[in-house]
Amino acid sequence: MKIQILAFLPELLKHLFRKTATVDYPFQKLVAPEGFRGTPVLYPEKCIVCKACVRDCPAEALEIVSVSETEKKFKMTIHNDRCVHCAQCVDSCPTDAMGMNKEFELAVFDRHNLKIEYVYVKSTPAPRTTPTPNTPKT
Amino acid sequence: MEEFTVPIGPQHPALKEPISLRMTFDGEVVKHVDVRLGYNHRGMEKMAEERSYIQNLYLTERICGICSHSHTTCFAQGVEKLMEIEPPKRGLYIRTLVAEIERVHSHLLWLGVAGHEAGFDTFFMYTWRDREIVMDILESISGNRVHYAINTFGGVRRDISEAQKQTILDSLGLLKQRTEYYTNIGTTEPTFVARIKGVGKLSKELALSLCAVGPTVRASGIKSDVRKDDPYAVYNEIPFEVCTADTGDVFGRVVVRVNELFECYKMIEFMLKNLPVGDIVVKAPRRVKENEVVSRYEAPRGENLHYIKSNGTDKPERLKVRAPTLANYPATVEMLKGCFIADIPLIFAAIDPCICCAERMVELVNVKNGEASVVSFGDLKKLASEQYKKCGNKPEPVSIAKQLEKIRRKS
Repeated sequence: MKIQILAFLPELLKHLFRKTATVDYPFQKLVAPEGFRGTPVLYPEKCIVCKACVRDCPAEALEIVSVSETEKKFKMTIHNDRCVHCAQCVDSCPTDAMGMNKEFELAVFDRHNLKIEYVYVKSTPAPRTTPTPNTPKT
Repeated sequence: MEEFTVPIGPQHPALKEPISLRMTFDGEVVKHVDVRLGYNHRGMEKMAEERSYIQNLYLTERICGICSHSHTTCFAQGVEKLMEIEPPKRGLYIRTLVAEIERVHSHLLWLGVAGHEAGFDTFFMYTWRDREIVMDILESISGNRVHYAINTFGGVRRDISEAQKQTILDSLGLLKQRTEYYTNIGTTEPTFVARIKGVGKLSKELALSLCAVGPTVRASGIKSDVRKDDPYAVYNEIPFEVCTADTGDVFGRVVVRVNELFECYKMIEFMLKNLPVGDIVVKAPRRVKENEVVSRYEAPRGENLHYIKSNGTDKPERLKVRAPTLANYPATVEMLKGCFIADIPLIFAAIDPCICCAERMVELVNVKNGEASVVSFGDLKKLASEQYKKCGNKPEPVSIAKQLEKIRRKS
């Protein structure tokens, strides 16, 4: 048994002088890496209301409704409480109007507070240069 | 001494997920085990029939949290076959790379759990701390720690940059060093070895006849690995060995997993150094012709199987998932027979059970005559209230509105 304790000793001593593996979370935060899939965001000036994101969303977290037919005004609701953060909407969007930010602290007392709403005027589609809707955008 | 039955589960401190194990003991020795499933059914297969293929990709990812990449790759492989598309080489390499990194994280996690179940919590703390290195790698290349969502039909969604390649190669050195230390501890530390050696014996013949999969069958000395037997993705190009052990006990399962970790590091290094240039994805159609396919994949826990039937629309007609844990249940029953009560959590943890992965369909079977039946929700409610009355309880409490009405009438 004595030999075994000696075998553990170097590892034990190493851990005595090691920095802790965890951080004091609320006071000290880790930085999310580049390309982290946080909360989905819409860039309304680019949206052409093709609803490709609504069709492909696996969690049915996106919703686009018409506000005014004459002014071509639309309202997009991102139900962040249902979002699974897969970023398929970012891949499906043909005009790069969807993106993901690094926001991950999403705890709230009421799930309705997680809703994000955008009211915007539909943008006219710009002439497409390379028609490759399936290529990934990160 | 008289035999007696002890129900372990559906809710039990030794179990992380609900499963019912009814065990008959003779003293402290297990005589008979009855496994009952169906406490964690999520209706995922039915859900898949109502969603398009691209939505199902993320649904299948959520079958399991630890081998999430296994399920989506298995599903994507099958659907790609149905779509008759071939992903580019670079895409397949990245897919396989993520699969192997996932295997490292899963095996490190299991080693920790094995240590914890054997009462060696220091081991658990060490492996889980070092697992964070793997989780960080996965987060940096895919954008998430658990659900990587790197697959899409016809390839992968994200490319790997030169800088990321270098970071992975750098952290591999540390991981290798740590795994060597774990091999030393896990296979030579006398207290740990004494606890796991000879526990949960499964002979070669039994493992074969009960169709066990993954490290469980490999620990019984059978070279069974889908990556070698039926190579998918780029496994026919990558050099690797199938790790086995002859002991057929929990100790053998530790040895197999630790050796597999080293194989994983070798494969990751090979893939990063031989990453072909080119596209990572090809365009995939939305609709799929009428056909059916079976897709196989070697998940960290064993062989994973998806059956997909398409009907010409953008939604599958049927998806059937056979998770590795389900295949390992019959072998677990045999392993548990003849063991002590104190060994139950250790043996059960040794197959790396993922109970909710294995919960697929619920069918009520009459034990007496073997007849299967479908019971509606109304019938179930009626049965429940009958049972409630039979136990000596009063009939369902009357609602407050009805009571108020009674009082009003009296007055």
